[in-house]
Amino acid sequence: MPYTVRLQKFEGPLELLLFLIRKNEVDIFDIPIAEITAQYLRYLDLMRYLDIDVAGEFILMAARLMHIKAQMLLPRPEALEEEVEDPRTELVLRLLEYQKYKQVAVGLAELEERQRDHYHRLQVACDGDGYAEEEWDAHEVSLYDLVAAFSVVLERTSQVTYHEIREAEASVDEQIAYILDYLHRHGEALFADLIAGLESKLVIIATFLALLELMRRGAVVVRQSAPFAEIWIYGA
Amino acid sequence: MEFETAKEIIEALIFASDAPVTLSRIRAALEEADEELLQRVVEQLNEEYAQHGHAFEIRRVAGGFQMFTRPHLAQWVRKYHRGRARQRLSRAALEALAIIAFKQPISRAEVAAVRGVNSDGVFKNLLERNLITMAGRASTVGRPVLYKTTEHFLAYFGINSLADLPSLEEVEALLKARAPQEEGEPTVVEATMESPAPAGSNGDGEAQ
Repeated sequence: MPYTVRLQKFEGPLELLLFLIRKNEVDIFDIPIAEITAQYLRYLDLMRYLDIDVAGEFILMAARLMHIKAQMLLPRPEALEEEVEDPRTELVLRLLEYQKYKQVAVGLAELEERQRDHYHRLQVACDGDGYAEEEWDAHEVSLYDLVAAFSVVLERTSQVTYHEIREAEASVDEQIAYILDYLHRHGEALFADLIAGLESKLVIIATFLALLELMRRGAVVVRQSAPFAEIWIYGA
Repeated sequence: MEFETAKEIIEALIFASDAPVTLSRIRAALEEADEELLQRVVEQLNEEYAQHGHAFEIRRVAGGFQMFTRPHLAQWVRKYHRGRARQRLSRAALEALAIIAFKQPISRAEVAAVRGVNSDGVFKNLLERNLITMAGRASTVGRPVLYKTTEHFLAYFGINSLADLPSLEEVEALLKARAPQEEGEPTVVEATMESPAPAGSNGDGEAQ
């Protein structure tokens, strides 16, 4: 007859160990390692039996537990006893550390829940190309975002297939001036608009380098609403 | 400028914005604004909103001010926004965020070491949701990428700064004071089986 087993899903071996310690009501500073190890291994068996992927970390911890258990069984020279470190120490410290952040995570979940009840205004529709639908959480743009935007542009321009060798039409310095002038006139700029009028790949690359240089100098602030969204440039 | 006029202007700026409005942004429009004025204006506006039963209030998040609907209206606003509600973060993601928030800048390996489990999938999710971002590279071997929380992290959890999170000392004290059974229930996986589980078959008991 089929029946249902309810099995807790543990995020990792440390969470499983904390659970076993709690369930057995044992002192975290004096873990009965043989008993906890046996229960730990039983749980792993059960996971395997239920075809739940047992992550490598669980196996590694099993080995670690058995190692500690073996160490505990070794007779200790009496004279040295006080100086020998308890083989459980390192594990206990890790458990305590993990337990702390697990508790912080519970607090974060509460904040998340509370904040879900507060709705703020969404971005006002710009030009009907769909981002009124998105939440507008302008954030700092990383180099990664910029390069992503840049590669889109380059892909577009690379449709021009002829080649011609000529002198560079623009230097980075000139493009710095161009960007600053653009910002001066418009107040802000979409990265796409900034390079829209530029035809050659070399000029676009120079403009991109100029933008990086301005960011490095802190002369402009670059923001974006979401990964891969349009990139906005503001004068700092 | 009169207080009432400044109040109106600041209200307009906060109203028209879709992100937390910081003092420095307000100064772009209203040069004489300072922290004290802003504080007073917001307090008074909130008082007026409450008196007149407005549906929203101004709250301080991520270092700025923003208008939010009142929590008791959430159930209706949520219906209106149905289908757009963002998924809650997973427990794994919250754990990783907790570690990053306190130990930033921090590498993936360091987070994994604390959690005792690989956290790469979680990092991808957190980066996509703009809750964390890259913060350069460590000068240690391999120069691993470091991560930090974003401003959006603060807004997402409705806090003004990282200082609003409980300190680790407070968390430790809480853990010590608390009875061990009270901890939150881990999620439960269900599996239907054809035959009894092997070796102790104590899965049933553990779930309770």
